[in-house]
Amino acid sequence: MESSTKMKSISRRRFLKKTGWVAAGITVASFGAVPVVRDKIPALPTFGAPNDKDGLTWIQILVDGRVRFYCPRMEMGQGAALGLTQVVAEELNIEQTDIECILPDTNQTPPFQMTVGSQSIANFFDPVSWAAAQLREALRAVAAEKTGLSTEQILDGRSGFKLPDGTTIGYAALVPAADFIIADNRLIENDKLKRYALRPTTDHQTIGQSWLHHDLTAIVTGQMAYARDISLPDMAFGAVVQPPSFGARFVAANSTGATAIPGVLGVEIDEAAGFVGVVASTPFILSEALEVLDVEWQTGPDLGQEQIDALLDVERLRAEDDFTHTLDQSGDLEVGQQSALHRSSGRYDTPFAAHAAIEPRSGLAWVRADKVEVWCGTQDPFFVQKRVAKILDREAEDVVVHTHRIGGGFGGRVMCQASEAAARLSAKFNLPVRVQWDRAAEFQNNYFQPGFSHFIDAGVSEDGFITHWDHDVVSSSILTGLAPGLIGKAIDLATPDQGTTRGIRPPYEMANKRIRHSAIRTPVPINAWRGLGAAPNAFAIESMMDELAFKSGIDPLQFRLKNLPASSARLAEVVRKVGDISNWGQARIEDTGRGLACAVYKDETAVAVVADLTIDHAAKTLRVTKVWCAQDCGLVLNPHQVESQIMGNVTWGCSMTLNEQITFAEGRVEQDNFHSYEPLRHGSSPEVHVALLAPPGTPPAPVGESALPPVPAAIANAVFAATGHRCRRLPIRYEDIFAETG
Amino acid sequence: MEIVINGDMIAVPDDLQNVTLLDFLRDFVMLTGTKFGCGIGLCGACTVHLDGVAARSCQTYVSDVIGVEVTTIEGLDQTSSGEGLHPVQQAWIAEGVPQCGYCQAGQIMTASALLHRNPAPTAAEIREEMNGNLCRCGTYDRIRQAITRVAQEA
Repeated sequence: MESSTKMKSISRRRFLKKTGWVAAGITVASFGAVPVVRDKIPALPTFGAPNDKDGLTWIQILVDGRVRFYCPRMEMGQGAALGLTQVVAEELNIEQTDIECILPDTNQTPPFQMTVGSQSIANFFDPVSWAAAQLREALRAVAAEKTGLSTEQILDGRSGFKLPDGTTIGYAALVPAADFIIADNRLIENDKLKRYALRPTTDHQTIGQSWLHHDLTAIVTGQMAYARDISLPDMAFGAVVQPPSFGARFVAANSTGATAIPGVLGVEIDEAAGFVGVVASTPFILSEALEVLDVEWQTGPDLGQEQIDALLDVERLRAEDDFTHTLDQSGDLEVGQQSALHRSSGRYDTPFAAHAAIEPRSGLAWVRADKVEVWCGTQDPFFVQKRVAKILDREAEDVVVHTHRIGGGFGGRVMCQASEAAARLSAKFNLPVRVQWDRAAEFQNNYFQPGFSHFIDAGVSEDGFITHWDHDVVSSSILTGLAPGLIGKAIDLATPDQGTTRGIRPPYEMANKRIRHSAIRTPVPINAWRGLGAAPNAFAIESMMDELAFKSGIDPLQFRLKNLPASSARLAEVVRKVGDISNWGQARIEDTGRGLACAVYKDETAVAVVADLTIDHAAKTLRVTKVWCAQDCGLVLNPHQVESQIMGNVTWGCSMTLNEQITFAEGRVEQDNFHSYEPLRHGSSPEVHVALLAPPGTPPAPVGESALPPVPAAIANAVFAATGHRCRRLPIRYEDIFAETG
Repeated sequence: MEIVINGDMIAVPDDLQNVTLLDFLRDFVMLTGTKFGCGIGLCGACTVHLDGVAARSCQTYVSDVIGVEVTTIEGLDQTSSGEGLHPVQQAWIAEGVPQCGYCQAGQIMTASALLHRNPAPTAAEIREEMNGNLCRCGTYDRIRQAITRVAQEA
């Protein structure tokens, strides 16, 4: 115990020294233990949720009285930094221009939780608010010391305090010669600490305002530096030969053709790692060098779509009555089935999917004897730091990851493989090396959303209540999707994946239910994709709810309200609200349809969606024309930003429902660019109308993925309303509905 | 050989005449506001103006633009008469359009070329013209609002 405390204090001091935070007379509150990574442990993503005290290292007052905020969230368009900046401003009574918000490098803050799972505001609101409030009160104490008054006499002002005589004293006058962060001995006990962010919304000064993001001007003028835009003087340009299929093993390489090209500096072949990369003094010859690099691979298993479809077959598992996990069971299915007046059953399938962010990943690395630097965009810079350290056989603390705004994350940027390749090449050639993936590499070499195969049998009683719910689902584990072979299989047997089964429990009252799950493993790498299992699961559940409503002859909105228990009051409220704003229940027009669906994301954010769909027989297309979304995500820090996230989720949902599908042949992904995997385009995008609900006193809940889950079912239900055709398989294409009628 | 980019004459080395304008801008002129997205003209992230008309710089070779005025996002403000940023850039800020922002330079270049040619586009014309610019974050609704704002303020 004693030695660990000692080590912590040493590393803390070293950390502070590196970041220039050492100032005489100021001790710093302890933050969570800085993990010491040793070579026996595999590099793991940064999971730990933040504690209040972590917040103390993120916020400092500069000598000019302004605030520097090292926002412990990576930025990929979700705007978490903006919302949290508003929390800092609320507590410290300052304006947006008083805050310098910094996307931190790994040497500027202790490690923080990876930016995934829509947790940025939900998890970080509290520690940021707490730390900013502590800082304000520490400044108030300094003001009291300076003026000889009591802290009670020092009243809040803007960027400072008001004194009883009517004069003001700004923060700048209270900061010593060095930048000020809070000292241990100044911390106020929690029950005495006033938290302005926790006031009623009507008293908020900055929370709830639609501040615009501090990066907007840089973005619209082309000055924003994404990882792909970074260069160093005298850097070299690297490229990697990607394996031809999943599980392919390197056999041999002949580099003579490539090294003969003028400008090629060399080829690195690492047989053990299966790595072949080329480095050149100019980027313009890299594709030519890659073409003549002769690499022989032993291909992996001959994986095709048929094999995957055979594994992802819920009906086969049902026939064998063979599911690994029973996630939920109550009552008696047989009793429920017997009391059902109306019954529906069906199989629902969703395909594998890719992130398809517009920025293909890029990494720049400079490996030197005393220091390793990496420039990249990642959702987990501390994971990149550890992975690069492992590859180079260095200590993690020798590696500094410089972070950049990400050109689209969606769960696909937890790793940055291009940075790892750049580090290998830089180590070999003693030069800074940049590696950029192209579009085909993005499609082929990242991880994927797995396919899902569901079967639901359910029924409704004479008076419109759900009698039973028998739901089986087979998919792949997501959170542990990258665990190797046998370890992965052991994990699958031991525990159901929390990502794959996200949102699998319906919010409705149902006495007799059983929900079962099995996971399959294939050579396809699987990991996080927007919302993980939430959207595929809600597609099955909310499609079935529509089927039951139709069979019962009850309006789909009323059917949901009827079956929601009192404990789902917030969900019922957004269902009612979306009915109001969409004028639900209006008469149907030919070749149009309207569908509704709802879901609760991560048991926190209640969302209801109505989608209007038009069928264009001439163009043979289905188009979602309008979407209404009512969302209760608790306290909203920035309405504009939340609306943007909802618009994004709705667009994403339309895209996954109508356009997107990854398929496999010969151990490869068949799609390699936007012609074969085409995200929803502008011309097909709906008008989106948003209503936000927040019961008083509710804390902020997840936003970044929460509006997505109901969208696919709302569209499928709209297709049914328009055509009478029940689409149980995504993506839904015009041809699938009108194939026979031509 | 020389080409004109944002009003500046840039000498093109002999061995770079056959690289794409996108690569030339990003890796030789170091104008990185123009983005690589797909490399085959499908996403619009690399959109620039050639004599005021929107074009895909990943599908254009340096040798194609001799005698052509190339404008990139970095030079867009020079093409408007007003002070400060181009009206389309101002509208993009006012409407808070960008999310990740990576595609937005291309979106702005396509939108500004549209508005130059057609100062009051209909909703259908906006959809059609912008259809070649992908946005994975889903900012399409806000893009329409921003373009409409420019048209109304003109």
